[in-house]
Amino acid sequence: MSVTVIPHTFQFVAFDAALIEQITRTLVEALGIEQDVTIEVDETTPLARLRVDTGDPIVVHAESGAFEDTRRPRQQSEGATATAIGRVLLRARDRMSDGFGEAPPDHELTLAQVAAWEAYCVGRVERLGIAVNQQRWRYNFRNRHGFTDHGDAVFDRIWSSDELTWAELDELSRSATAAVPAAS
Amino acid sequence: MRKFFPVEELARDSRFSQVTMAERMKDPRSALGKDGPTTKSNRLVPSRPDASTAARALMHGIFVGEIQALEGAGRTCHDFRTAGDSARRAQDDDAGNDGSDAVPFALKLDMARQAWDEARHVEISVKLSDWMGGEIGEYAENTVLFQAACSTDPILRLAGVNRALEGLAIDVFTTMKEFGDLAGDPYLEFCEDWMLADEVTHVKMGSDWLRKVTENDPERRKKALEFQGVVDKLFSYGGTRSDSQESPIGLARRFRELAGFTDAEVEDIADVSLAALNERKAAVEKMQRAAEQFAEA
Repeated sequence: MSVTVIPHTFQFVAFDAALIEQITRTLVEALGIEQDVTIEVDETTPLARLRVDTGDPIVVHAESGAFEDTRRPRQQSEGATATAIGRVLLRARDRMSDGFGEAPPDHELTLAQVAAWEAYCVGRVERLGIAVNQQRWRYNFRNRHGFTDHGDAVFDRIWSSDELTWAELDELSRSATAAVPAAS
Repeated sequence: MRKFFPVEELARDSRFSQVTMAERMKDPRSALGKDGPTTKSNRLVPSRPDASTAARALMHGIFVGEIQALEGAGRTCHDFRTAGDSARRAQDDDAGNDGSDAVPFALKLDMARQAWDEARHVEISVKLSDWMGGEIGEYAENTVLFQAACSTDPILRLAGVNRALEGLAIDVFTTMKEFGDLAGDPYLEFCEDWMLADEVTHVKMGSDWLRKVTENDPERRKKALEFQGVVDKLFSYGGTRSDSQESPIGLARRFRELAGFTDAEVEDIADVSLAALNERKAAVEKMQRAAEQFAEA
C-alpha cells in the first residue's frame, strides 16, 4: 500500500505534503484499506470540495479549502485534513463493499443523500478519535432533511452506525425527508 | 478617558485571529474560477452544495462585524464632544481641540441606542453560530469594518459606518433571512428579520444625520459621501456583494430605499460593487497566470 500526494510542494498555500501523506497513511491503516491512495490537491481555489475515484489506486481530489485552517488563511489544519480525508476514504471503502453496490454515482446523488452519507462517514471518523463538531454536520443534515424531531432522531441513528448498507442509509434519509410537514 | 482607539488595539481573547484586507486580497486563489466569467450562480442559497458551510462562515463574519459595529458606535458616542457641553469643552480647549468635531446630543443618543442594538446582535449571532455548528474564532476576523470607524470627523464616520457598513449589513441580513426561509430554518429567518429591521434604522440614522449636520456645509457633505464611496468599494469585498449572480450576497435594493438611500445612490453602489467584482477577477487571473508561468519555469 502506498500513499502519494500531488503536488509535492505548494505555491499558493503553505501546506505540507509530508503531513498530508502521514495523516493519510494513518487513516488507511486504521480503516483497513488495501489499495494505494493518491491525494491530489487543487491549490488554485480556496473552495473545499472533495471528490474520490474508487479503484486501485483510490484517488482523492481535494480543493485547498478542505485542508485549510480557517483561522489562518492559506495555512494547513491537521484536524481539517484528517476529517476531510477520513470522510472520503470511508465513502470509497463503502462503495467498494457489497452493501453499497446500488449507490448511484456521486454526481447522481441528491443533496439529501450526500448529507446522510456525510453524517454516516463523519460519525465513524469521530470514533477513530478525530475531533469533529457534530452540530455542524447535524445542521447540514437538517438543511437537507428539514428541521424536525424525527429528522434529528434519524441523524443520531446514522451518526452512531457502523454497519449500514446503502439501502438502509437511503431509507433513513427518505424517512427524515418525509417527516417534513407540507407547506401550507 | 482615551479617545480615538486604533484598530490594532481592539480587545480580543486568544480565540480570535485577525487578518487585514491587504492580506486577504493577496490570496492568489480564487473561488471565481480560472476560466473567466461564468454564468453559474454563487448566490448563497440552500441549493448550493456547500450551503451549510458557506452560511456558517457568513454567520461568523456577521458575528465579528457586530462586535466591530458595537465598538464603532460606542467610540462615536465617546470620541466627539457634544455641542454646548461646557465640561467637555474645557477638556478640549486644554487639548488644543478647536471644537469643529462637536456633534448634537441627539446624535450621540442614536449612537448609544445603536451600541445597545449591536450588543444584542452579537449575542444573537453567537447563538446562531452555535446552532449552525460554528465556534467563536473559527474564522479569521477581518478588521476593515472597525477601520471605517476610525475617522476623526464624526460625519465621515457616520458615512463610513452607518451608511456603508450598515448598508452592507442590510444586504447580508437580507441574504441570510432568505436563506433561512428557503431552508425552513425556524430560528435563522426569524433572527435575521429582527436584526435587519435594526440595521435599516441604523442606516436611516446615518442618512438623516449626514444630511442634517452638513446642511450648510456642502464641502463636508461631499467629502463624507466620497469617503462612503471608498468604504462601499472596500465592503464589496472584491465582489462578494453585488447584483451579479456571481456574488454570494445580493444588493437589497428595497431595504436600502427604506433606509434613506436614493435611487441614484443605490445605482452608484451597484456600479461600485460590480466594478470591485471585475477588478478582483482580473487581479486573480493575473496572479494565477504569474504563478503558472513560475511553475513552468
